This record gives sequence, structure tokens and C-alpha cells, in this order.
Amino acid sequence: MIRDITLGQYYPEHSRIHRLDPRLKIIVTLVYIVSLFLVKDFIGYGIVLVTVGIITAISKVPLKFMLRGLKPIVLIIVFTFTLNMLMTQGTILWEWGFLKITKEGLYNAVFMALRLVFLIIGSSLLTLTTKPIKLTDGIESLLKPFKRFGMPTHELAMMMTIALRFIPTLLEETDKIMKAQQARGADFETGSILRRAKALVPLLVPLFVGAFRIAQELAMAMESRCYRGGEGRTKLNALKFRGRDALAIVFTAIYMAAIMAERIFI
Amino acid sequence: MSIRVENLTHIYNKGLAYETKAVDDVSFTVADGEFIGIIGHTGSGKSTLIQHLNGILKPESGSIFIGDAEITAKKIKMNEIRKRVGLVFQYPEYQLFEETVSKDIAFGPKNLGLSEEEIDERVREAMQMVGLDFATYAGRSPFELSGGQKRRVAIAGVIAMRPEVLILDEPTAGLDPKSHEDILNMVKSIRHRAGGIVILVSHNMGDVAEMADRVFVMDGGKLARVGTPAEVFADEAFLKRIGLGVPPAARMANDLAARGLASGRVILNIDEMTDFLADTLSGARESKS
Repeated sequence: MIRDITLGQYYPEHSRIHRLDPRLKIIVTLVYIVSLFLVKDFIGYGIVLVTVGIITAISKVPLKFMLRGLKPIVLIIVFTFTLNMLMTQGTILWEWGFLKITKEGLYNAVFMALRLVFLIIGSSLLTLTTKPIKLTDGIESLLKPFKRFGMPTHELAMMMTIALRFIPTLLEETDKIMKAQQARGADFETGSILRRAKALVPLLVPLFVGAFRIAQELAMAMESRCYRGGEGRTKLNALKFRGRDALAIVFTAIYMAAIMAERIFI
Repeated sequence: MSIRVENLTHIYNKGLAYETKAVDDVSFTVADGEFIGIIGHTGSGKSTLIQHLNGILKPESGSIFIGDAEITAKKIKMNEIRKRVGLVFQYPEYQLFEETVSKDIAFGPKNLGLSEEEIDERVREAMQMVGLDFATYAGRSPFELSGGQKRRVAIAGVIAMRPEVLILDEPTAGLDPKSHEDILNMVKSIRHRAGGIVILVSHNMGDVAEMADRVFVMDGGKLARVGTPAEVFADEAFLKRIGLGVPPAARMANDLAARGLASGRVILNIDEMTDFLADTLSGARESKS
């Protein structure tokens, strides 16, 4: 059952988007998010849609995967949509008791829902096309300026990397312990909430013990390979700014210009 | 009590690009009181197969009968099955969680809904069977024991459920030679006293040859060979081809045969090898004099 859970939504492919510098991708994503808040009408969303469409096509990520990212926030979208639709004052289109739908409300609702959808799709593009390890590399590199103020950037990035790396390991461990306790007659699936919470003890205790064991072993392995933090540490796969990254910057600039122009002139 | 498995197939990650057939159309029967050894290289489907036998995994297709109960049927009560089929996983010491050894062993029997007295009696019996002194260990934390002792506690936790079928998945993996032998002797004595079916999954060909009545050879999810240890270990070439081997004594016998000293009998352990060598040497001396 636990096997079915997929974590980290990286989609392995060899597209131009995948090979972009992760630092650039993070910044571009931030720029994109800002741009969404500059859009003031549906023509602006048209530009966003075309751009996202082109990037998706280049990235070779199937549309199905893109839309899958929306699943967890469907509820939030519906909630926002309904609230906007019912709470905005204006020309009344439909009325029933205290509920009324206005023309402006409907417009707002669609507008806000679209903003959320684009927000999620854009940021999933980042995680779909960037390996978690690359992502933390990029974050570490971007945070470097804060090192001067005493921020342990390398250590933070290392912690993120290790955490990501051990998610599947811990899931596997959970699966194993669950099976072992089920073989001893443990029941995780039925009974009241209190009973179920109690049933988790035989799962959680060995899991914690195991996590500490794994942590200890990893620390030992790192020590024995002379790991001593980020000071003076070089990278095997150093992040490098390439031609395609420059191209991406130009592309982003054009996109931003279009959004701005649309906001000001139309 | 017998086990009957019919056309069992299990697929991991069905429908995804990396779906794998871990168990592929496996059928067999095990008679009451039999000791079965299962061998096969890593990833051959051994562990997946045995996890079906007490309903932890559900097959893609096929059916399993324990006694006359079909455990692959939809409406079957899982606790009934787990009472009858005990499964000791690989590295079972990682499943320990209670404050004391006796409480941990009592976890299984408690889940079966037994009375306090019954549970207490079973805990004492199980600890005795795995060779842990009740007075010394019952009140101790399982986390402060040695690796071998932890494993005994974990095995006792399954034995205390008094299963009619006991399945052990590599119970000696990662143990020192002394603990290895202790655990094997323990399995033997449990079988001797409790009867029932024992299924042992192992990478140690010597152990399997010594203990099993019949050996199942798994390869690529399929049941490649079934037979007595003598039959299975006679074909060294085949076992080598699928990444396995034969017990050391059998290998020596095969090497001797290749050099012109055929034994003409089954040699699977040191005693049989010693007898053969003694007979051969005394025969050679007699013909000389």
C-alpha cells in the first residue's frame, strides 16, 4: 500500500528545460509568480497560458503529470471560487435567500481560480523538471550571500538533501515494520480513532529507533570520509551558467515585457 | 494442516513503466509436518512468495489454501490466518517496540484476544523455546540486548502465537557463527516439539540441505526446481547458472567425481563426506595389502 505513494514529483526526461541551471529556474519561477499578480484581465492570462504551454511542450512533461499537481489543492480552488462568487457586490444575476451571484463575483471567481491554477502549474514545472538534489544545490547557491551574516547555507542545503534522500528509505522501513506487526496480528485499519492511534505505537517506536540508527550510521559514514561541513568544499557537478540559460533569461524578459505592456496599454 | 498454492502471481507497481512480476504462476503443495527450504538469489521472489502465505500480500491472481481455508478469498478473517501461519521477517529485531521483553512477546497473543493467564503461559513457553531464561530476560528492555538475543525475542514473539505453519525468512542473516548455530538448533527444537510445517528461506545451502525435507528453488519469480535436497543439489551446474551453489561437502564430492573419484552416493554434509572418505581410504589400503 505504501509502495503506491510517490514522493517528489520529478519527471525524468532530457529536455532543454530539465538541463537549465537550477538557480535560474528558481529565480524564473519567482519572477513568474510575481507576474501572475501583475495580470489584470483575461488577455494577460492568455499570455501566461501560451508561455506555460510552450515551456511544457519543450519540457516534454506529459500534461497528465502537470494536472496531477492540482489535485491536492482542488478543495482550495473550489473554496476560493465559491467565496468570490458569493461575496462580491455588484449586478445580481441570480438570487436565492441570502445567496446571490453577481456578475462581478463570477468574474472575480474565475479570475482568482485561474491565478491559483497558474500558480500551481508554474511551480510544479520547477519541481517536475528539476531533480531534488539539483534544487537544493540551487537553493544553497542562491543563499550564499547570506553566509556573510552567519547563515549556515551549506549545512541547511545538506540537511534538505539528506531529508529528501531518506524519504523513500523511511517509507520502505515503515512498510516493512507494518508488515511485521501485521504478521503478529496488529490491526492498523479498523477501530475507533483512539484505537487506531494506539495501534500506531508498535509502528512508530521501531520506526524512530530505526531512524536514529540510520542517522548514526550515516553520520559515521560521513565522518569516515572526512566530511567537515561546507568550508572550502568543492563540487563534482558544479553549477554552470550556459548558453541555454542566457536564452532562458531573454525569454523571461520578453515574457515580463509582454505582461507589463498588456497591463499598461490594454 | 497442509498448504496448497495454485497459479500464484504477484506484480509490483502494476500499470507503471517499471512493473515487475515478482511471483510468476507458482503452484505447489506442502504436506503436514513437512520442513521446506526455499532458496533463490536476491530478487528471485522468495520473500514476496512467503508474504502471501499469511495474507500480508494479496496476489494478482491465483489462490492459496491453508488447511481447508482459502486465504485469498475476499471475506476471510485475517487474524484467523495469522493465528495459524506465523511469519518471521528478515531482521525481525527491528520490529521490537515494547518496554520489556515479555511485553513484546505478548503483543501477538494479545492481538489474538487471549486471556491474561494464557498469554503469560505462552510467553514463558516461547522464551523457553528460543532459549531465553524467563527470570533473567522477561523484565529487561529488548533494546539493551545483543543482536542475537534481540532476534530470539522477535522469533519468540511469533512462536507465542502458536502457529501451525512457521515461516522464517533468513533467520540467520548477519549473525555470528555461534548465534547462527543457536538459531538453527532453536528452529529444529521448535519443530521437534510443536510439529507443524516449517518453511525456511535461506542463502545458506548447507543449512537447507541439512534441515529440509524438500527444497524449492526460486528463479525469476518462478518455481524452478522442487525436490529432496539430494535431488536438488545433485545439479550443481544448474544452481550455479541461477546464482546459487551447493553445500560445501557436495561441492567437494562433485570436484572429486570430476577427478575420477565418484562417490556413487549422496553427500550433502561433513559427516557423509567423512564416511565416504573413510570407506574409500580403508578400501584402498585393503586392496594394497
